[in-house]
Amino acid sequence: MDAETTPRLTLTVTPGSLSRFLPLLGQGFTVQRPAGASVEGFLCRACGIARDYLRERVQTVFLNGKAIDDLAAAMVNDGSTIALSAAMPGLAGAVLRKGGAYAAMRRQISHAGPGDSRAGGPVSVTIKLFNLVARELGPGFLEQGVLIHGASLQDFFRRQDRGFGKIGRAADIDGRPVDFEKVPEIIPGNRLVLLALRPAGPHPG
Amino acid sequence: MDKILRINMGAAGGPQVKSESVGSYAGLGGRALTSTIIAKEVPPLCHPLGEDNKLVIAPGLLSGSAAAMSGRISVGCKSPLTGGIKESNAGGMASQMLGRLGVAAIVLEGKPKEGMLYKLSISKDKVEIKPDNSLKMLGNYAVAEKMKAAHGDKVSCISIGQAGEMKLTGASIAFTDMEFRPTRHAGRGGVGAVMGSKGVKVIVVDDTGCPVRSPKDPGKFKEANQNWVAGLRKHAVTGQGLPTYGTNVLTNVINEAGAYPTKNFMWGRFDTCSKISGETQAETENARGGEGSATHGCHRGCVIRCSGTFYDKDGHYLTKQPEYETVWAHGGNCGIDDIDAIAMLDRLDDDFGLDTIEMGAAIGVAMEAGLIQFGDAQGAINLVKEVGQGTPLGRVLGSGAGLTGRVFGVERVPVVKNQALPAYDPRGIQGMGVTYATSTQGADHTAGYAVTANVLGVGGKVNPLKAEGQIELSRNLQIATTAIDATGMCLFIAFAILDQPETFQALLDLINAFTGAKMTGDDVTALGKNILKLEREFNHKAGFTKEQDRLPDFFKKEKLPPHNLTFLVKDSELDQVYNW
Ligand code: SF4
Repeated sequence: MDAETTPRLTLTVTPGSLSRFLPLLGQGFTVQRPAGASVEGFLCRACGIARDYLRERVQTVFLNGKAIDDLAAAMVNDGSTIALSAAMPGLAGAVLRKGGAYAAMRRQISHAGPGDSRAGGPVSVTIKLFNLVARELGPGFLEQGVLIHGASLQDFFRRQDRGFGKIGRAADIDGRPVDFEKVPEIIPGNRLVLLALRPAGPHPG
Repeated sequence: MDKILRINMGAAGGPQVKSESVGSYAGLGGRALTSTIIAKEVPPLCHPLGEDNKLVIAPGLLSGSAAAMSGRISVGCKSPLTGGIKESNAGGMASQMLGRLGVAAIVLEGKPKEGMLYKLSISKDKVEIKPDNSLKMLGNYAVAEKMKAAHGDKVSCISIGQAGEMKLTGASIAFTDMEFRPTRHAGRGGVGAVMGSKGVKVIVVDDTGCPVRSPKDPGKFKEANQNWVAGLRKHAVTGQGLPTYGTNVLTNVINEAGAYPTKNFMWGRFDTCSKISGETQAETENARGGEGSATHGCHRGCVIRCSGTFYDKDGHYLTKQPEYETVWAHGGNCGIDDIDAIAMLDRLDDDFGLDTIEMGAAIGVAMEAGLIQFGDAQGAINLVKEVGQGTPLGRVLGSGAGLTGRVFGVERVPVVKNQALPAYDPRGIQGMGVTYATSTQGADHTAGYAVTANVLGVGGKVNPLKAEGQIELSRNLQIATTAIDATGMCLFIAFAILDQPETFQALLDLINAFTGAKMTGDDVTALGKNILKLEREFNHKAGFTKEQDRLPDFFKKEKLPPHNLTFLVKDSELDQVYNW
């Protein structure tokens, strides 16, 4: 493993077990894309999320921990955190929902409006996918590869119940095969790791 | 439902059962009935554990019918925790069964001879109350097992654990679920202590031989019920979000909003909350497998099925899927991020018969006092065990966050009217604070129904951008909440009826086809207002003034990170909530 470049960890997982990794996406992963975009532009153009999906399915959007109503107006900056959730139950769900009748109840934690955003160079943005949004968009992101801090990955692997190893068929780091069970010990805990999942075929060879 | 069963525990010669017609209480169910009986029959200044208080257990208006979601049950009394009126509701099987038996309410009144414990049995042919001291200091699980052995598994149980017997103000009342486990609790306000003061350990409900309640207009009822179920199934929250993740789906979102009370309300975010989120919980449950793991109903007739079953690492049943409020109270609020430890705490609370919110809040206060460290999961488990054992420390903790704070000299005690705040920091979601402060019930989170207010148009349409919107919204929310509580419907119907007017109409059609009434949205609103008025009057006579409609001082003084906000709504604004 090169000390400078970001290691790419590829896990081949059994069919149906990809969902075990979805809670990781709720902790957040890093996306590096060109600057100068609104939240909507960033998510649709840079991350490939369909506009209709964003408008209809995603009911609550946080930018830096503040619920936003106008995704086209709020700007993404270097270091921003964007979190996406489907509709939530209860009063809290209603209050946090974009453009909802109860938005007044969160008046102090609403994002004020557009911020300045440097055009040009790339920005690093943390994306968090919650609940049904993680289920629906997560597999695509995970197969494409997501940047996650090594320490979070180590912790995630260590917390899994015994038998977790069974969900993986194979693992490699930068193309070199490694023992699936030993992954938490091998990955670096002090920097970002590019995690990519590859679903194994239904009939292992 | 045509009768009220009154059990006079203090009658000369031992408890006496009287069955009487509903009389002037006709047409009321759930919270409408419990609060009306308490307001009319209980002297507001009585001691909550004394002979003059009453414990009212009332199924919802449509319980026992084929209407989906209609199996919630309300428990009412003068609360030993708040000193005011209390309604606390739960799922479980008893509501549908009592409905089929034609029982609109069970009223426990008077006070039995000291040291006696009773079992009340209700079936089609008889109602019987007998002493049974063999049940003394048993947990709810052991009580359920004994009742199953004696009566079979077709009955249901309403019981108290050790906490209720000790009359601790954090004590709950347990209702058995579809698997005969005592996992559904009327948790808030110390209702279990009142049942304990009446000396009733368990009520066995047997509806054998009782048909499903039939509607006044079966054709219309069937059609409305189909529309009702279809509406619930097609909505993203009731059809997908809740069945998939349960209420704990809120953890990540509330945390992201910076409104997740962490380590006794010191922070608005819990760094490791994803370890206990609904997403993690559901994946863990699915991976461990087992019957009803991540999607399960708490009673027959639920089509949303937000509950689940929690199995331990070795695949053994531990408890039902802990709800958001529980995961928060024992989790983030105590700095604990171990989902298995939280499930164990939930199991202990259910067994001893304790409100999970009150217990989590009390332990959070104890942690702040330095009794154990934040994050000490085993320490928290040991403390809850002390409650079950009835040690002096356990009795303090089991009496709630308010008392624990007084005993240990803690200033940051998150209670309103002495009841612990639930899982949303009012500095993060200010409107929530208005409801906590002014609710007749003490800090209460069941404003989930609240979203119906907009559909009902309670108090006119609100401009969400006006600052005063929060007061108006909170008022509307409380009215709507109270009204829907009276129907006995589960609170999670709220979103479907907010977003889908045809689903709200289906609910009204369902009620009307069943009862023969011609209820409109306005009538529902009027019902909600009437109940709230009764409850406010009771509290007023019990000595409550506007000074009790306040959040604790620290919410106004301490800024909550990460948004660094205090609670900004003025006292004078809070006083406007009940000006309608
Ligand atoms: S939605 Fe949940 S709380 Fe409501 S009745 Fe169903 S299982 Fe019970």
